[in-house]
Amino acid sequence: MPSVYIPALLRSATGGQELVKVPGATVREVVASLEREFPALVGRLVKDGRLLPNLAIGIDGEVSFLGLAEDVGPEQEVQFLTAIKGGRSEALS
Amino acid sequence: MSTTTYHLIGTRPPRHDGADKVTGRALYGADLKLAGTLHGAILRSPHAHARIVSIDTKAASQHPACRAVVTAEDFPETPDRIVDLGEGDTPLSYIRGNMLARRKTLYQGHAVAAVAATSPQAAAEIAALIQVVYEPLPCVLTAPAAMAKGAPLLHGDLRCTEFGQPTTEASNVADHFRQVMGDSEKGFAEADVIVEREFTTSTVHQGYIEPHTATALWNNDGRLLIWCSTQGSFVVRDTVACMLDLPVSRVRVTPMEIGGGFGGKVPVYVEPVAALLSKKSGQPVKITMTRREVLEGSGPTPGSFIRVKIGAKQDGTLVAAQAYLAYEAGAYPGAMVAPAATCVFAAYDIANQTIDGYDVVVNKPSTAPYRAPGATNAAFATETVLDEIAEKLKLDPLALRLKNASKEGTRRADGAKFRRIGCVEVLETMKAHPHYTAPLGEPSHAEAKRGRGVAVGFWMNAGLPSSCTLNVHADGSVGLIEGSTDIGGSRTSIAMMAAEVLGLQADDMRPSVVDTDTIGYTGVTGGSRTTFATGWAAYEAAQDVVKQMKERAAKLWKVDEVHFADGVFSAGEHRLSFKELAARVGEVGAPVVGRASINAKGPGGSFAGAIVDVEVDVETGKTSILRFTCVQDAGKAIHPSYVEGQMQGGSVQGIGWALNEEYFMSPEGRMMNASFLDYRMPTALDVPMIDTAIVEVPNPVHPYGVRGVGEANIVSPPAAIANAIHAATGCRMRHLPMNPPSVLAAIQQC
Amino acid sequence: MRSFDYAAPVSLAEALALLAAHPTARVLAGGTDLLVQLKSGRRETPLVVDLKKIPELKAITFDAAEGLTIGATVPCCQLTAHADLRRVYPSLAEVAGLIGGTAVQGRASLGGNLCNAAPSADSVPLMIALSAQARVAGPQGLRTVAVEDFCVAPGKSILGPGEFLVSIFFPLPAPGFHAHYLRFIPRNEMDIAVVGVGVSTTVQDGKIAAARIALASVAPTPLFVKAAGDSLVGQAPTSEAIAGAATLAQAAAKPISDMRAPADYRRHLCDVLTRRALTATLGAQ
Ligand SMILES: Cc1cc2nc3c(=O)[nH]c(=O)nc-3n(C[C@H](O)[C@H](O)[C@H](O)COP(=O)(O)OP(=O)(O)OC[C@H]3O[C@@H](n4cnc5c(N)ncnc54)[C@H](O)[C@@H]3O)c2cc1C
Repeated sequence: MPSVYIPALLRSATGGQELVKVPGATVREVVASLEREFPALVGRLVKDGRLLPNLAIGIDGEVSFLGLAEDVGPEQEVQFLTAIKGGRSEALS
Repeated sequence: MSTTTYHLIGTRPPRHDGADKVTGRALYGADLKLAGTLHGAILRSPHAHARIVSIDTKAASQHPACRAVVTAEDFPETPDRIVDLGEGDTPLSYIRGNMLARRKTLYQGHAVAAVAATSPQAAAEIAALIQVVYEPLPCVLTAPAAMAKGAPLLHGDLRCTEFGQPTTEASNVADHFRQVMGDSEKGFAEADVIVEREFTTSTVHQGYIEPHTATALWNNDGRLLIWCSTQGSFVVRDTVACMLDLPVSRVRVTPMEIGGGFGGKVPVYVEPVAALLSKKSGQPVKITMTRREVLEGSGPTPGSFIRVKIGAKQDGTLVAAQAYLAYEAGAYPGAMVAPAATCVFAAYDIANQTIDGYDVVVNKPSTAPYRAPGATNAAFATETVLDEIAEKLKLDPLALRLKNASKEGTRRADGAKFRRIGCVEVLETMKAHPHYTAPLGEPSHAEAKRGRGVAVGFWMNAGLPSSCTLNVHADGSVGLIEGSTDIGGSRTSIAMMAAEVLGLQADDMRPSVVDTDTIGYTGVTGGSRTTFATGWAAYEAAQDVVKQMKERAAKLWKVDEVHFADGVFSAGEHRLSFKELAARVGEVGAPVVGRASINAKGPGGSFAGAIVDVEVDVETGKTSILRFTCVQDAGKAIHPSYVEGQMQGGSVQGIGWALNEEYFMSPEGRMMNASFLDYRMPTALDVPMIDTAIVEVPNPVHPYGVRGVGEANIVSPPAAIANAIHAATGCRMRHLPMNPPSVLAAIQQC
Repeated sequence: MRSFDYAAPVSLAEALALLAAHPTARVLAGGTDLLVQLKSGRRETPLVVDLKKIPELKAITFDAAEGLTIGATVPCCQLTAHADLRRVYPSLAEVAGLIGGTAVQGRASLGGNLCNAAPSADSVPLMIALSAQARVAGPQGLRTVAVEDFCVAPGKSILGPGEFLVSIFFPLPAPGFHAHYLRFIPRNEMDIAVVGVGVSTTVQDGKIAAARIALASVAPTPLFVKAAGDSLVGQAPTSEAIAGAATLAQAAAKPISDMRAPADYRRHLCDVLTRRALTATLGAQ
């Protein structure tokens, strides 16, 4: 089962747990499992099927281009990173 | 570290574009001269912040040489929405608003209207005939001023997002986020030494030599053709299509050779305007910015206000760190503050961290990426605070860093956990480098003092999609088609990776960078991703070629299985070199065309460090760079000269940022030094030869172990120079640039 | 840039006639200031009169009894290559080698540097220190003006309508004479003097017999500080004497703050550079 690193500011929703293991083969499935297990997370990660604009998906520490659609392996860790967003922004130059 | 042997990778063949570049034959954007081309000019706001009361274009339109006039009204009326044009989620209205101002101008140099005319001189004259009535408004120029209560607001509709949740208060703060790991209060309570300092850094520009330029032709068949200087042809295509409400298939963008970008040619400025002018005039329209326009109207990188607090135990263990990062986005949200937060403590394993980031709009040009955007400002703070801690604990500054260095498995405050990285190896290489222990030498005169400083920096790099096509020719050469603007020699590095697979030499490859119709989607040349990602695509395409060549050989030899090694295909007694087989492909089948498109994952991130010796004239405050060594983890250096070129270029830009470069603003928000005379970038006489030491800790996911090297090298120089100035003078520098007046003031005060 | 007409007279008389007929014409020497200004729109003119074809304006003449005359359009590269000039006026050759880089020195002239009347012009403080005289042609004939009196405001000189500079004359240096120009720029090249100091000293029998000090970039015009030079006369070349002169030079400066440097920093540099320049000439005894 993939593990998920819960950002500190959302940990009240997981009873303080930092790393949780939930089933799922894509990030979308992993988030669905998370929401089932920790209903307080509903709306804090995904809204209307889209990742919240302040978040980006990390897989094993690196930003995923596909986001919710990204595949996740059973040994991998999903992270919710700070999105780069706005008028002219990108982690690119 | 890297043990695999290659026949081509790691060597230094001549670049494919070399002859054209050194003889002046390479075609840059402004070299394009289509028959009937008109010249565009843009009218820009003289005010940093003003309401546009009215725009009267009558006199301009009536000028005999005028062929078209456009304003923001000429953009199609589509409702605002969030778009992602490869630059993160952004309201379309912001992107359009920056291209041509609507209702308000938000910085001096903000484009207001544009004209096309029969000559550049006439265009400039006609643009000046447009009558704009402005109602000037008070301006704000720094993050702290813009965040203050009662500050003039740039956008009436901007509401701060706080920890991901929208708030209701109108504000210049677009976003406030926080990253927390452990408990920093507890961590500081355990610390023996705590250093907390405030820093400010000025707005700086990438300073690419070639100004933005684009030619647009709105063709009679309804297709829009664009030739321009860009880091990403697909970003231009998508942005233009989105702004003009066209399907992407109607827009073809041809990237010309580029005279530098460093991130500043990721955003789009003149292309949609040239397109509108071409549509109205029915002729091709070329717009080329002047240097003043580049400085005033393109995208510099944010100035910032930073507070960093770090706590350490007596033995040097870092136990807690806190950062407050307020970055100036310029006129529209999007300061590089999220990457700044990622990088601020990335080099260190610190259990307890709290990082607050603020994305703040101010009346300066909308900022753009610049080489590791956000990281240099942040490292200036962290790395000088660490130098102070090392001084207080009487520890060697590199030993302190090594003791706390991030490794595989170290978690950052943003939640990411490092895979295999080269932070330790970079620091060890610095420590062992002869420069680190070489004598400083005698000062050159009585009022001169010398010192040495070190610092390290991190950049995470980007992956993203890339495509590549390989055409095998009958003489055994291979045409390589790709879509990455070549800024630092990438087409040769990419060709070398395909040639390595095929057992060929670099000279057997014919790489070309082509337009958006001719190659699959390819992300920007940015994020240090091109050699990593497009090179990877070339590697995969070469594997596709090998597979097809094996099939042809099997058919030729009537065998089931063919081996390929060291450039030779074989089966039993049969042997043909790649070139011999290429000549015979036509006998048994279709031409061989290899293809690959990838969504590259795992760029790996790169660490780089600087060792610098300075001499400070304590009577004038002028700092001279005596010796500079850049150490960087390249994963694997495909073409070491190009890796060294990146390391040297990043170091020199870091030196300029450290010592003299800045947007010198009048209180009314006017840039007072909008020329290369007064925007003091370093010249060849201001920097020594930059020594380089390439570290190779292979990136485990890449077929050749590549990590991008375009950016991390700019991160540490300002901090290293500040530390060297301290070593020379005893004074701590907390503002960039550290120009002669500010160094002298520090010397007089400390 | 607006289009303009171009004329290249070959004699003083022809040039004077052209300028009389076209009061809004601008004269051209090397063009390294003028063309930049025209291109940026800071200046406009319907007619550019190129003076480089007039014999008097393109000659260097050295007379071992009188001194040196440099035609107003002679480019710096010819000054740095001139054997007599290098021998007798080494500081002048040095300053000619300081203006711009190799490409600019192929065109830039001392005449243009003076007539452009920028407070930051590098050669002007040195020319003042060398007691140079400007020779001017005009509708009323020829006249001679001391270089320190030539500039009156930023971009403005004493030249009246129809007048132009013909040459600059440098008297022969006395025995014991040394001159030096020192400028401060944040970079090592391609920068405008934040402060410049030109000094000359004549030491005879262990005492300073004459001294002249002039400053760049600290007033609306290049600034001749007579009192600072005079304070040295009769003194031994000691560091106290030098410090006294530097204090006087600093007191005379009236710098502004702008993007190139703050005023108090410029004032501070007046002291530092004057001391260093005087130490160089007096140490050179
Ligand atoms: C890249 C670059 C670097 C530079 N570096 C320096 C530097 O380090 N130090 C420095 O001091 N300057 C520098 N300059 C400025 C310039 O090169 C000098 O001021 C130069 O001496 C001007 O000489 P010119 O012959 O080119 O003058 P021009 O441009 O031909 O003329 C300058 C002005 O003087 C007037 N003029 C010229 N000749 C006469 C005449 N005979 N009679 C009346 N009026 C006349 C012109 O009408 C014009 O207004 C630099 C310029 C550039 C472009």
